[in-house]
Amino acid sequence: MPQITVDGEVIEVAAGRTILQALDDAGLLMNGVDVPHYCWHPKLTIDGSCRLCQVEVEGIPKLQIACNTPVKDGMVVHTKTDRVKRAREGVMELLLINHPLDCPICDQAGECKLQDYAYEYGVTHARTKEPRRAAKKRVDLGPTIVFDQERCILCRRCVRFCREIPQTGELAVFHRGDRSVIETFPGAELDNPYSMNVADICPVGALTTKDFRFKIRVWFLNDVPGVCTGCANGCNVHLGVATNKVYRYLPRRNDAVNDTWICDAGRMTYKEIGAESRLQRAYVRGPGGLQESGYKAALEHAASRLRALLDAKGPGVIAALASPHATNEDLLQLRRFLDAAGVQNAGVAVPIGPADELLIKAEKAANATGARALGFADAAGVVDRIRGGGVEALIALGHDVLDPAYLGGEAALAGLDTVIVLDTHRSELERVAHVLLPVRVAAEKHGTLTNHAGRVQRVRPAVEPAFEAYADGEVLAKLGARLGLAGFDGKWDVRAVSRALGRECPAFVGVDVESVGDEGRSLATVVAGATTGASV
Amino acid sequence: MGLKVPYVTSYLTEHFADDALGTIEGYEAKGGYAAARKVLRESTPESVIETMKASGLQGRGGAGFVTGLKWSFMPKGTEKPKYFCVNADESEPGSFKDRLLLERAPHKMLEGILIGAFAIGAEKTFIYIRGEYAYPAKQVQRAIDEAYAKGYLGRNVFGTGFSHDVVLHRGAGAYICGEETGLLESLEGRKGQPRKKPPFPAEYGAFGMPTTVNNVETFCHVPHILANGPDWFRGFGTEKSPGTTIFGVSGHVARPGLYELPLGTRLDEIIFEHAGGVPGGRKVKGVIPGGMSMPILPAGQLDVPMANEFLRERKTMLGTGGVMVMDETTCMVRASSIISYFFRDESCGQCTQCREGTGWIHKIVSRIERGSGSVDDLDLLLDICGKMEGQTICAFADAAAWPIQGMLRHFREDFELHLKHQKCPFPESFEL
Repeated sequence: MPQITVDGEVIEVAAGRTILQALDDAGLLMNGVDVPHYCWHPKLTIDGSCRLCQVEVEGIPKLQIACNTPVKDGMVVHTKTDRVKRAREGVMELLLINHPLDCPICDQAGECKLQDYAYEYGVTHARTKEPRRAAKKRVDLGPTIVFDQERCILCRRCVRFCREIPQTGELAVFHRGDRSVIETFPGAELDNPYSMNVADICPVGALTTKDFRFKIRVWFLNDVPGVCTGCANGCNVHLGVATNKVYRYLPRRNDAVNDTWICDAGRMTYKEIGAESRLQRAYVRGPGGLQESGYKAALEHAASRLRALLDAKGPGVIAALASPHATNEDLLQLRRFLDAAGVQNAGVAVPIGPADELLIKAEKAANATGARALGFADAAGVVDRIRGGGVEALIALGHDVLDPAYLGGEAALAGLDTVIVLDTHRSELERVAHVLLPVRVAAEKHGTLTNHAGRVQRVRPAVEPAFEAYADGEVLAKLGARLGLAGFDGKWDVRAVSRALGRECPAFVGVDVESVGDEGRSLATVVAGATTGASV
Repeated sequence: MGLKVPYVTSYLTEHFADDALGTIEGYEAKGGYAAARKVLRESTPESVIETMKASGLQGRGGAGFVTGLKWSFMPKGTEKPKYFCVNADESEPGSFKDRLLLERAPHKMLEGILIGAFAIGAEKTFIYIRGEYAYPAKQVQRAIDEAYAKGYLGRNVFGTGFSHDVVLHRGAGAYICGEETGLLESLEGRKGQPRKKPPFPAEYGAFGMPTTVNNVETFCHVPHILANGPDWFRGFGTEKSPGTTIFGVSGHVARPGLYELPLGTRLDEIIFEHAGGVPGGRKVKGVIPGGMSMPILPAGQLDVPMANEFLRERKTMLGTGGVMVMDETTCMVRASSIISYFFRDESCGQCTQCREGTGWIHKIVSRIERGSGSVDDLDLLLDICGKMEGQTICAFADAAAWPIQGMLRHFREDFELHLKHQKCPFPESFEL
């Protein structure tokens, strides 16, 4: 491998890369070696136009842009010389002469590369006497994005993104010189399944999402690493959290999963965390229908119904549905619960939707692959058995069995002796459930999720539910203890359960909540699920 | 239609007066296509490139790169088709020499293309002609049709087995399309914006194929060099800048027009002996020697030989040989304002320094011209120029900075008078 020297430090680089790519590959870019840049983005083609990344390369008289200069073995690069400093000051000054400097009312303030680099590399005073360029404000580019032409620094990341990633090409630079503006083509709007990524890659406050703009100042947000639960892809995200509320998802770079992108539909799933439709209380069915209940009383009620049935008819009349949204740890606990109770009739119902070639997967659940790895087959068998009258009690984690591909509604469950539902959100199962127990979503608990390719990825609590709710696994631990199942003491130690994954299910050897890190790690073996759905 | 014939001719523009070379018959009657026929039948690509290198011909499009060397950069043994591009997008203000060649000697250019294509192994040539050149485009297309009809283009040229196609493409009107990679983008149907380098056109050019781009006049020298040899060619011009070129003289001169003269001809000779000097008994104030992007020279420096090795000593360049003469009534701040407006208007807008710098320079210069300048503006102008120079994808930002630097180098007094009087002190200066 070629070696280059950057500011005296020797770096091994892959042949055929440019200086900036090599620094990025080595994890050094803006993390040890500061080469500020606007137009360059690791997942887009090289543009070479902002000229901010100029560096000095020994043997070449002119400064070179690091983004487009191929590495050569023995190349010596300097990023901190006076010439480089002056060039950066020049670019920053020129970028700012027409910028409105409206940071106090700009939503990007606090995470703006123009602010950051002006502070770090710019000059402190303006030398312009001329009025700044006036351009369009609050341009409605489409259903998701608002554009401020005055703030735009014409790095053209958004233009390249639309051409190269969703390949919809809605945006272009119109006119030329200092009249250049980014716009959609006449009559077209920026509308594609990935449109909101343009706001993420916009280094300034020119492109903002209608969803997030003006909701909160970004410096109030804590970034919690997590995983999008919208589909089986498991795109890595940052959850933006303040006052125990998730305000947004931003894609978190993971080159093995989602590069730096996330789809719009997945991005919006943050709203489900704090949604009104969350199941917020435990319920028990009484003579007059469902009634609010204390959590403990509901657990007791569930245990007593199940115990009666087990004693009277044995485990053969009980069926269980694993949730494809629950964590591997939750599902291992379900597996233990069913094994201890002797229940063999179990499966997982996975909702299916549109898919594409990029990120969006057909399975609209974050952990269907984990459920399969833990031995939960498709719920078709459970459904058949319910329809055939062989089931008298159902323990349902989640409500995906209501999907038309499975039961298509709650009616088939109406005659059952006992229906116990552990769920994050409300559903028609309320009409037939005897016990409803609220559980936590992935953003409210520790655990791991297994994406479509078998990559096990960590989630951690970003917010606390405003009501009493536990992880599915913890609820099952409590329920198992109340049933007197062997090995169940009512305690829930998610890390211990996670470590047991590899012992109790060989596919998970070496992967647990601590060891997978923030980048995830792959299962030894993967059971494939549905890969086809209607295209987006 | 067409331009007046040059006032002074040499090998390049010989027989232009009676338009004798306009048709293929006329061109052949004067010996045309003999060089190409001989080269294709008897020579090798290597020896043509060696001859071109030995001639020392420098590209006539402005940058002055040695043509033989440029041709030698084309990859050998590649599977990909190789292309030639003719840069006929003559758009530099003050430059109008290629138009004459396109109108009067389109076959000379085609013959040069054939020889060059044989040398670099190109299978197709795209002639990118500026959109406004309607009549020259018509002449070139007619010449192409004639050459195809005679078997001088197409398959099996001169019965040698060599094949070559030529396509004429009319541009859509932007100065930047004269930059070779901006030209390629425009040719491919995209917005005319120079490409970042690497890759260079010889590696990734028109439609992604190895491509060499040469100026119209450059091609026109080629048949003469191959017919007469490099030593003959070096008999014209200076040691480092051999051959003739066509100087286009405009502005305050008695006889504006085209003059084919050896490189190294003194600027004052061109202006006073050939172009008849400044009318009305007025004096020269300054001269832009090579098209608008080249820094101006003051009246005291007109003794310079017109070749890059001498012009560089005076901090300017030959460019396209467009000599723009300004007499003593001229307000150099107004001239600067006009120049900076042009570059502001024509910047493609990709690179930060060029997009923002050209606009800022124009705003400052025009403000000074209107009488609202301040003392720190002149140093600010030079500082902005310094930040634009040599830092962008193409040389446009340099082309925008150099003339302003030249104006401030030689005519700072004009700017200072504007600052002092807060108005233009040259009431007789030209108006637009």
